[in-house]
Amino acid sequence: MSHKLTDGGQVMHVGTLSRVEGEGAMHIEYSGGEVTKVQLRIYEPPRFYEAFLRGRAWTEPPDITARICGICPVAYQTSSCGAIEDACGVTVPEEIGLMRRLLYCGEWIESHALHIFLLHAPDFLGYEGAIEMAADHPAVVERGLRLKKAGNDLMDLVGGRSVHPINVRIGGFYRMPTIAQLRGIRPVLEDAREEAVETVRLVAGFDFPDMEQPYEYLSLRPEVGYPIESGSVVTTAGKAFPVQDFTKHIQEQQVEWSNALHATLDGESPYVVGPLARYTLNFDRLSPIAQDIAREVGLGTTCRNPFRSIIVRAVELVYACDEAIAIIDRWRDGIVPSVPVPPRAGEGFGASEAPRGVLFHRYVIDDEGIIKDAQIVPPTSQNQPSIEADLRTMVKDWFEADAALDDHSLSHRCEQTIRNYDPCISCATHFLDLTVKRS
Amino acid sequence: MTNPQRPPRLLVVGLGSLDRGDDAIGPTVAQRFAGLRVPGIRVVEREDPTSLIDLWDGEEGRADLAIVVDAVCSDQPPGTLTIMETGSRRNPLPEDTWARTGRGGTHAFGLAESVELARALHRLPGRVVLVGVEAARFGHGEPLSEPVAAAIGPAIDAVIALLWDTGEVGPGPGGRYVRSPSRSNLSLFSVVRPREVAS
Repeated sequence: MSHKLTDGGQVMHVGTLSRVEGEGAMHIEYSGGEVTKVQLRIYEPPRFYEAFLRGRAWTEPPDITARICGICPVAYQTSSCGAIEDACGVTVPEEIGLMRRLLYCGEWIESHALHIFLLHAPDFLGYEGAIEMAADHPAVVERGLRLKKAGNDLMDLVGGRSVHPINVRIGGFYRMPTIAQLRGIRPVLEDAREEAVETVRLVAGFDFPDMEQPYEYLSLRPEVGYPIESGSVVTTAGKAFPVQDFTKHIQEQQVEWSNALHATLDGESPYVVGPLARYTLNFDRLSPIAQDIAREVGLGTTCRNPFRSIIVRAVELVYACDEAIAIIDRWRDGIVPSVPVPPRAGEGFGASEAPRGVLFHRYVIDDEGIIKDAQIVPPTSQNQPSIEADLRTMVKDWFEADAALDDHSLSHRCEQTIRNYDPCISCATHFLDLTVKRS
Repeated sequence: MTNPQRPPRLLVVGLGSLDRGDDAIGPTVAQRFAGLRVPGIRVVEREDPTSLIDLWDGEEGRADLAIVVDAVCSDQPPGTLTIMETGSRRNPLPEDTWARTGRGGTHAFGLAESVELARALHRLPGRVVLVGVEAARFGHGEPLSEPVAAAIGPAIDAVIALLWDTGEVGPGPGGRYVRSPSRSNLSLFSVVRPREVAS
């Protein structure tokens, strides 16, 4: 919906964003050749997770927080396990970390395939959605469904379920899959890797608007490998700090138009988390096959065009399949599925790379393991200011190029700009405690 | 409707999340129905609607009849049952008919989209019937609302009636049979309001 202002300006309001997870809306005001207001309004009801984690046992966050999101439950489980184990002074053995990484690969494959094929590709191929696209490009959609199923199957095997896995616990897993089971899924992942390579070639051929983001990028960077289940924090401005210092650098604040908190990095906003940041800060950590296909399609070792994020997701899809196969090939039976994590009073921090960016958890527990405080910083609330900044830039460019741009086209382009981030609005909604002092 | 060489593939799917208030109605009905142990019926729970396509048309072949029980929002009183049918041999339902089904879970890509995507890919079963239960709330960790909880029995009856009407479900060998459905003449596109449910 839009209407003209008396000064010649224009207001546009899109009441419900399609093809994003959760419920959000967008409000843009444009006047005198300038975009005067851009607001991404997240109106999904506030989430009370941080509040109702207080008073629960230290063993419960993986199961409770996994329920925040059906698209990225493993991210919540992994970050919460990391934070609780940090509070309790426990470092899990390498093999448990590897199995977490394998489960996480399943989530990346599932989530990236869903977004690339069913939610984002229709924007570039000129369709309203995947259904319309399927009529003309059934093979493309079938490939997406096969890739998504490969991710789901991997999550089923390692996590016990593909949505809200049940096999994850503080300290590790309830049981480990056997090498025979893992070898059984290997051919599925080999096929998926080949299809992911073809996916990179496919999406690299799309037309992309010109745009270079000037913002700071932030991602994790582990000691070894591409960032997935752990790592310390790095940025394109050269900052580097441990996850334990996350809240010293990242502050959240409420804005009146959204239920999601806005985050700043050392007081600056916006900054970007997610595939573009991971790729730009960690290209050297991708496997050879992922690097090769990125070079083949001319992606370069950094990428700052948010519209090209679909190519980066496809490269990460290749990497996730490749990494899953590598973990399976080095696995052996007889690994103890978990280590004890006795409670002790303290504060712990954990972060992992959800498909759409860094997900941070912080917990304070007492000596009996009761959670006294909890904080969750999801990726979409970190990206919300950069989504709005992108919209400001692009709307101005579009109007300069075509002052008569119609509402439908403008709305569609704005939605595409938002979908570049694969936002997970369900994850991002918080509720701000309010105290009223009366005199 | 079926290949005479094999028995029809009949599928009952409970769609939704057990942890999100009335979104649990689908899996709850599926669990209760599974407890009846009706032979020849595959009963599953799912949270991700896109997984339905492989379920309908997977390695075991294509289902002949898929009954999907899900929470819906259509401005009816909570607990109202809405029965709607589509399928590969039927035209798509009007767009807004399905548009508001499947809220509350991980349904970035919902039931309506999955049905129509399966149709576009020629992977839709001959018959897909939605048993929709009008929901009141989708809060995290909330139990079923009272009117939706009261609709569990009628929803199971609706599933049984739909299966009964195929002629494939009824008195079986060894005296094992499903109980007589209370609404064996359940019409498609019907709406059963809570007052009728209560009666």
